[in-house]
Amino acid sequence: MNILIKSATIIDSKSEFHNTTQDILIENGVITKISSSIKNPKNYKEVKRDNLHISQGWFDSSVSFGEPGYEERETIKNGLKTAAYSGYTAVAVNANTNPVIDSNSDITFLNSKASNNAVSLFPIGALTVGSKGEDLAELFDMNTAGAVAFYDYKKPISNPNLMKIALQYASNFDGLVCSFPQENKISGNGVMNENITSTKLGLKGIPALAEELQVARDLFLLEYTGGKLHIPTISTATSVTLIKEAKKKKLDVTCSVAIHNLYFTDDVLTDFNTNFKVLPPLRTQTDIEALIEGVKDGTIDMVTTDHNPIDIEDKKIEFDHASYGTIGLESALGALQNLFTIKKTIEVLTKGKTRFGIESSSIAVGNRADISLFDPDSKYTFSKADIVSRSKNAIFENETLKGKAYGIIANNKAVLNS
Amino acid sequence: MSELSVNHLLGIKYLNKQDIQLIFETADHFKEVINRPIKKVPSLRDITIANLFFENSTRTKLSFELAEKRLSADVINFSSAQSSVKKGETLIDTVNNILSMKVDMVVMRHPNPGAGVFLSKHVNASIINAGDGAHEHPTQALLDSYSIREKLGDVKGKKVVIVGDILHSRVALSNVFALQLQGAEVMVCGPKTLIPKYINKLGVKVETNLRKALNWCDVANMLRVQNERMEISYFPSTREYTQQFGVNKDLLDSLDKEITIMHPGPINRGVEITSDVADSKQSIILDQVQNGVAVRMAVIYLLASKIKQ
Repeated sequence: MNILIKSATIIDSKSEFHNTTQDILIENGVITKISSSIKNPKNYKEVKRDNLHISQGWFDSSVSFGEPGYEERETIKNGLKTAAYSGYTAVAVNANTNPVIDSNSDITFLNSKASNNAVSLFPIGALTVGSKGEDLAELFDMNTAGAVAFYDYKKPISNPNLMKIALQYASNFDGLVCSFPQENKISGNGVMNENITSTKLGLKGIPALAEELQVARDLFLLEYTGGKLHIPTISTATSVTLIKEAKKKKLDVTCSVAIHNLYFTDDVLTDFNTNFKVLPPLRTQTDIEALIEGVKDGTIDMVTTDHNPIDIEDKKIEFDHASYGTIGLESALGALQNLFTIKKTIEVLTKGKTRFGIESSSIAVGNRADISLFDPDSKYTFSKADIVSRSKNAIFENETLKGKAYGIIANNKAVLNS
Repeated sequence: MSELSVNHLLGIKYLNKQDIQLIFETADHFKEVINRPIKKVPSLRDITIANLFFENSTRTKLSFELAEKRLSADVINFSSAQSSVKKGETLIDTVNNILSMKVDMVVMRHPNPGAGVFLSKHVNASIINAGDGAHEHPTQALLDSYSIREKLGDVKGKKVVIVGDILHSRVALSNVFALQLQGAEVMVCGPKTLIPKYINKLGVKVETNLRKALNWCDVANMLRVQNERMEISYFPSTREYTQQFGVNKDLLDSLDKEITIMHPGPINRGVEITSDVADSKQSIILDQVQNGVAVRMAVIYLLASKIKQ
């Protein structure tokens, strides 16, 4: 694949061309020239876009596609297409499928399904067999097949001894263990944040305490065991504080936050709109401010869309019965650009790779092209027309967003919208 | 002619003060009607109402049915202790099936909070919420306020304590909204385990000592402990609950003033109130039941008149 990108502003602090506008020549998937003006004698395909910016390819550490088993929600093929059009060149895919991805052959299945695609799919294996929280899955074997982390998606490991053993065991081969931050006995049958809105709506609340107890427990365990812990999708101010302190102690812990948890408070649930039913639940303004601060000061290592397509049958029902989750890839850049500077936005979209053992490729001559293309400034109201996903459960529907992806160039392929 | 600001009665929090006033004035008229020898008016002869009860109910269902029949509406009943979801059919489908038989209004009780709100967005009928999980039970709160107004002249300025299981109670929540809208002061009283942690943010007082609460109030609305909604024990035993939160005659007589006792029913005699309290002249429990029919007639009548427009 040969492409000439014209007049693109490069946002890549690792690149010598950071913050400059250049032409970029890509031949056979490798960047061969970067210069303020490149001629096109070989008549390569040219990419010109309004206000074109490019950066290293973005990575999302928590994406769900449904296949195998829940193809009505999303398929791997269309999921990767969604990622590409949303500007992502790499996604870590959760094991919340049916059957659950908990063996070497399951990992191999995902890898083969996603091979030869512009977007790189990195499978996450389940931590326990069937994500039942009882027995460890074959972590080493999955690691050998290419699993980048181990996570029972949204299912907390209730048994602290099992989490202790998981951390110890995975440290043998430097495996990354993920622990969903929720103490299930405290969260009970809760369906939203416990506060004034849940009280008014008569909906059962999930106290912030449920998350914080689990985070504290896991940090204590990590201190005892050593090993590598990732806490996906924290949502409370106290969680930020706890992780900050753990990092000061040099514990090997990272965490992420879902973009919608940086954006909405639980007030939006007043109308029982199930698109706002997510886990962890939307919290308060105080939490949002602490989370944003946590992203800015690096306590929170990465943001995720926590992209989770849910078909309409599981959303257009009574709030108590509706499934948790929202899609988020399509709206990611536009939402982040409302919260952070362009530099920070790109940093949080690319930084997670290292933790998941995924190679980064900065924008420099001789490097393979792994590039996201976007306009960071265009303002628009996010609507169903912007959704590529098979399911339309978008928490950002009707929000005014700033910034839109044009697509990606990666794995010697280009996926670009017109 | 004045009319309601809403097309459905989904909860008290969707009403304004004038709506409540209008409902009460209309209920005054219907209360007079139901005490006549011929207790029926022909107002709703062209209206068909479906009572959909996805959760057990005796008194509310009877009260609605009687109210509908006294307005001469055609009535159909559907009861299922199981939610429709468990049977594989969605709530929207269940209701649309019934509506396709030309039904104008739906009275629904449902175990899930917000079920009425959800339905109102997806089906073409006027919805009356007859209780949705721990969310709201608006007609109960209306009849409670109506009964206070009848007994004490006005709701404004009165002090009302709601005693018992506040956490699982839609009656408590609707009462808080209704009483505050009319200018009453509200307190909740019960074991901490049965009081929502953030209820003080609604502007209600919280008290865990029953005697203090009763000494403060003009009216005590005693709620039933909803054991069926509890997945774990929120207190060690009924005996111990009664020791702390049961009203008996001795306690009542020892107060500084004569307070009014209410209960939305069904009463667990000897638990939250003793028989001599329930049957005392301070109790307006049976007035509440009678007023329930008049208030429900008013609500149905006012919503039906909006359908006819």
